[in-house]
Formats: sequence, C-alpha cells, structure tokens
Amino acid sequence: MAWVTGDVIITLVVAHLLASIAAAEVRNLKLSTAALCAQSVFLSATFAAFAVLSQNPSLYWWALTTLLTKAILIPWLLFYYMRRLPKLEVKPVIGFAASLIFLLIFLTAFYQFVHTHIEFIAPTKEALVEPARSNLAIAFTIFVLGLYVVMARRDAFKIVIGLILLKNGVHLSLVTLAPTLPETAIFGITTDVIVAAFLLLYLTERIYQQLGTVDTVQLSTLKR
Amino acid sequence: MGSQAVVQVDSSLPVLIFVVPLATALVIFLFGRISTVLREGAAFVGLFFTFLLSILIAHRILQGEVLTYWGMYFYVDGLSSLMELLGSSMGFIVVLYSLSYVAHHPRLGDMAERRLRVYYGLILLFLSMMNLTCATNSIIMLFVSLEATTLATAFLVTFYWSRESLEAGYKYLLLVTVGVTFALLGLVLLYSASIPYLPRSRILLLTELGRIGTKIPGNIVLLASALIIAGFGTKAGLVPFHAWLPDAHAEAPIPVSALLSGIVIKVGAYALARTITIFSPAFPALVLFVAVICSVSMLVGMMMALVQDDIKRMLAYSSISQIAYVVEGVGLGTYLGVYGGLFHLMNHTIVKALLFLTAGALMFAAGSRKISELAAQRRRMPITAFCFFVGALAISGVPPFNGFLSKFTIFLALAEQGLLWAAVIAVITGFLSIACFGRAAYQLFWTTPSDAKEGNPGEIIREVPPTMWAGMLILAGLSIAIGFYPQLVHPTLDRATNTILTLLAGP
Repeated sequence: MAWVTGDVIITLVVAHLLASIAAAEVRNLKLSTAALCAQSVFLSATFAAFAVLSQNPSLYWWALTTLLTKAILIPWLLFYYMRRLPKLEVKPVIGFAASLIFLLIFLTAFYQFVHTHIEFIAPTKEALVEPARSNLAIAFTIFVLGLYVVMARRDAFKIVIGLILLKNGVHLSLVTLAPTLPETAIFGITTDVIVAAFLLLYLTERIYQQLGTVDTVQLSTLKR
Repeated sequence: MGSQAVVQVDSSLPVLIFVVPLATALVIFLFGRISTVLREGAAFVGLFFTFLLSILIAHRILQGEVLTYWGMYFYVDGLSSLMELLGSSMGFIVVLYSLSYVAHHPRLGDMAERRLRVYYGLILLFLSMMNLTCATNSIIMLFVSLEATTLATAFLVTFYWSRESLEAGYKYLLLVTVGVTFALLGLVLLYSASIPYLPRSRILLLTELGRIGTKIPGNIVLLASALIIAGFGTKAGLVPFHAWLPDAHAEAPIPVSALLSGIVIKVGAYALARTITIFSPAFPALVLFVAVICSVSMLVGMMMALVQDDIKRMLAYSSISQIAYVVEGVGLGTYLGVYGGLFHLMNHTIVKALLFLTAGALMFAAGSRKISELAAQRRRMPITAFCFFVGALAISGVPPFNGFLSKFTIFLALAEQGLLWAAVIAVITGFLSIACFGRAAYQLFWTTPSDAKEGNPGEIIREVPPTMWAGMLILAGLSIAIGFYPQLVHPTLDRATNTILTLLAGP
C-alpha cells in the first residue's frame, strides 16, 4: 500500500477537522450527530493510515475500536436519546454566524500557533516531524474546539457532543504521542467516554422530562 | 524518620481489595430487588470484608512490606493503604447512617426499592473504583479508575431526581469529566516522553516516574504538571476548578455529601500526590505554583463559607479550603509537608464526614438546612450538639483536637521551605474558619429561640435514631483520640510519607 503517504494522513486529518467544525456548528442536532459520526470515521481512517505508514500493526486495533465505539456506538446512543429530545439546538450565547466566523479565525490562529511552537508540546523528536506535527496541532485544536462547545453552548445535548469532540481530540493525541499504549489502557479510556456520554444523555433526558427544557441557562437556579 | 528496609512481596490483596466491593456491587445490582438482606445486608457484608482486607494490608505495610501483583502492575504501599483504610471505614459509617436517613426520607417516594438498590450498589462500586485507583501502578489506569469514581458517584448526587439535584449532577459529571481529561493529556505527555526509557514494558509505572522524570525535558514536565494540576485539581475541588463542588455537595443526600467531601475529593489529592509531588524536589517552580493555587483556594473557600446560610453549602465551601491545606502540604515534597498533608487528609476525612452527618441529623430531625431557620427551633439533641462542637473545633484547628496538629504541621512545613507568605495565609484562613464555625455553632446551639421567650413551649425536636448517631460518635471519638494521642496514627502516616519520599525525582 505505497499510496498511503503523509499527505493522505494530512488530508484525512483536515477532513476530520472540517467534520468537527460542522458537528460543533450545525444547529440541527441530527445533522450535527451525523457530522460527529463522520468525524469519528475520519479519525479511525487516520489511525489505519498511520498503521500502514509506521508499520505498526497494533494501530489497526486502535482503528477498529475507534470505528466501533466512536463511529457506531456513541452516535447510536446520541440518536437513541435524540428521539425524545428537541431536534433543534437551543440558541447559544454567541449567535451561529458570529460563532462560525470566530471559530474559523480562532482555530486557524490556534493551529498555526501550536504548529509553529510544537517543540514546547512535543515530548519526543518523532513528534516534531510531519505528519505527527500536524496531527498533534490538529489534536490540540479539536480539544480546544470541544472545550469551546462545552463552555459556550446552552443546549445540554450539544454540550455532550462538545465533550465527545474534546475526548476525540485527546484520542488523536494519544495515537500520535503514544502508539505503544497497552490495550487495557485504550479499553479503559474508551469505556470511560462511553459511560460518561451515556450518563450525561440519561440526565439530559430526565431534565427534559421534568423541566421541559434542555437549556442549561434556564436550568441553573442554584446560587453561586 | 523511619527508614526501615522495604520488602516487595507478591500478594493478591491489592486485587482483592477492589474485587470484593465490585462483586458486592454486582450482587446488589442484580439481586437487590429481592429483599433487604441482598441489599443492605450484602452491602454490610461486602464492606466488612473490604474493611478487613484494608486492615490486613495496613498490617502488612507496617511490617515493612510493599504488596505487588501481576509484576508491578498493582502496587500497594503506605499511601495506598492509608487511602484504602479511610475509604472502607468511611463507606461503613456512611452505609450505617443511610439505613435511617435515606430509607425513610420523605422525598424518596415510590420505587424506593429500586432506587435503594442503585444507591447501595453505586456506593460499593465507587469504593471498588477508589481502591483500584489506589492499587494501580499504571499512569494511564490511574486516570481511567479516577474517572470511574466520578462516573460511579454521579447518580448518587442526583439521587432525589429533583430540579436542583439534576442540575448539580449534570454540572458535577460534566465539569469533572472535562477537567480530568486535562490530566489525561498531561499524563500522556509524560508517557510519551518516557517511551525511550521504558526498555521492556509498554507501561509507565507511577513508581518509575521519579527515576524517569529527571531524564525527560523540563518544559514537558512543567506543561504536563500544569495540565495534571488542572485535571486532578478539578476532582479535588481547588479554586478556580471548584464550580461543581458546592452544588454537588449541597444537593446530594447527606451521606453522599459526607462521602464526596470525605473521600471522593481526596482521590484527586491522592492522584496529585502520586504525580506532582514526585516532581516537586526537582522543580521548585512547581512547588510555588501549587502553593499559590492552594493559598487562593483556602482563602476563597473560607470566605465563601463565611457568608453561607445553608449549612450544607457552608460545609462544602469549607471543604475547598481544607483540601487546599492537604494539597499544599503534599505538594511541598518534603517529609514535614507530605506528613502534614496526609495527616490533614485523614483528619479532614474524619471531621468533615462528622460535620456533614451532624448537619444531616439536624436536617432529618428539624427538616431545614438553613442555619437561620434551625436556630429558631427548640431541640433536645445532646449527641448531635456534642458532635457538632467537636467537629467545629477540630476543623477550625483549635487545640487539642486533631485538626490543630495537622494544620500546625503544615504551617511548619511551609515555613521550613521559606514560603512564609503561604504560612501566613494558612494561619489567617485558620482564624477565618474559627469565625465561620464559631458563628454556626453559636447560632445553632446557643441562641434562645424567639418563640421560647414569649412563653410558647412549642414542639421539642428529639434526638435522631441510634443508627445515625452511632457513626457520628465514632467519628467524634476518633477526632478526640487522634488529637490527644497522635501516636495512634503516627506509624501509618510515617510509612505513607516515607513511601512517597523514596519515589521522588532526584534534584
């Protein structure tokens, strides 16, 4: 498979980033979840490409588990709970157009910054060269994107999507930095993500049943 | 300083200590519906054996052994043993207290059977995951099991399924999960930087961190440490990562608040002791960073506690302040600092659980959690009053109670390291907490209710049932006993401190 080169990986990673932005910005929650699913498929494909490129067969295992858990199981959970929740996201604090423009500018700047100053983050010499360098920068960018969604959105369901984006960003950095991580550790980390997503979605459903809203701003009545 | 030779012994105890509560939790989840024997009964049997195992482990540790299993993958030393001992004994007291408090709560409503099953099952599941956190020696599994303790306690916070508890539970789960993910990033950076120094295994052991730590680049250690402090600091409830803590503590059922404050936030402190403390001798900047965060935490937490009228929120904010003492001491990485930090960890577990349980007794009997409303009632609750006074004096650091000894050790440790400003802030916070708890004790137990003055006898509120005050008395007794006779716990603390010191990165 000589056609798998660093360029393929970078293409996949850029597609992954675009899907992430779509998942964060699309207001229709069904489409947003679909974008998240596509994002995870790209993530899985990135791992497979890495496996070919670095001749590291254990990365096929990463690609497979990512596909099963992040591209199938988690979107299924999201779709399952969405049936009983509002289909359209609660209007966020920052409007959609403003948010999209802000995100594109901010993420590009953040990516450039991390990519240029990677030596502060990269713990090894391998992480300084392409494609690991771009990968690591993208991983941190997606982490920040997820953090932004968690903090700036009011919709409890969208916040869960943000959390999963954040976790996927960490997952990409895991593969880039530590492809030799034992299977038990990957299993544990993935299980934590699935259980956390499930518990948050269950709570969101209960909140909607009891209060008739998934708006976290309306929810907060507890004094500071 | 005891520096006896330590022998590594292969033993299945480190695994049993989390498998036993895990199996008990499974029994409760699967069969708890059938009868109380398989619910409360099973919980007690499971806790009894877990407690027995933790005693057995503590005994072996005091003999100068370190227990390992599966190579070095599970590793129980003095610090792990201390945490497991505290965890299993607190679990016991909390479940005992829950028998009356949770089962007879008016907000429980229908489906009580099913919800009690989940309640006891989750407590045992939490205990299992906590013991796993303390037994594992893999840096990544430390994160995985620590995150699992959060997941296990989330539905304990939302136990009442009220509007407020739903909000608190959602906030708790989301903020702590996001926060701890920062720690994962930090741990992965450390792991990645260590790969060249892991010759045979693919696992970075916590016990190897000190040896490898001096070989990896300093900027990576500092970046990773900052991420880890943010992550595990969220779990521990340090300012500015504390937003989840007051809500979760206030809206959970009282026994769960006692568990959260007594044990759950200590798991964060434990994880910090296993990672950050290791680097502190080699990186003085790290010690300073931790001291600044902790000084801010203790002051902010105590000032917020001072203005609360809700007794549960007051206790919750005080926890932010007290956990800062623990982390500050442990973060120093010196014998005196780590000793003081761990001593305060133990004392705060006992005292804060005691205070939450007494607050629960007041709420159970009087039906309010506002200090102003409780002050206006006529009560005859001598045991509760006694326990509250012991707790208030101990947590304020008044001699001769246990809180004084540990706080004083931390003051000395800070001064010894030249951090005089931090010692001064810690002393000031101590005075503030005397004011805070003195005011609460005065309003709750010394003011004469206004209607009594008018000659209106009214209804007198009676003491709570023995299953509730038994645990309170045990904790109050421990607090006094440790205060008067600290030699009681010295060997355990000394052993725990020395195990950390042997793992430190060389300067």
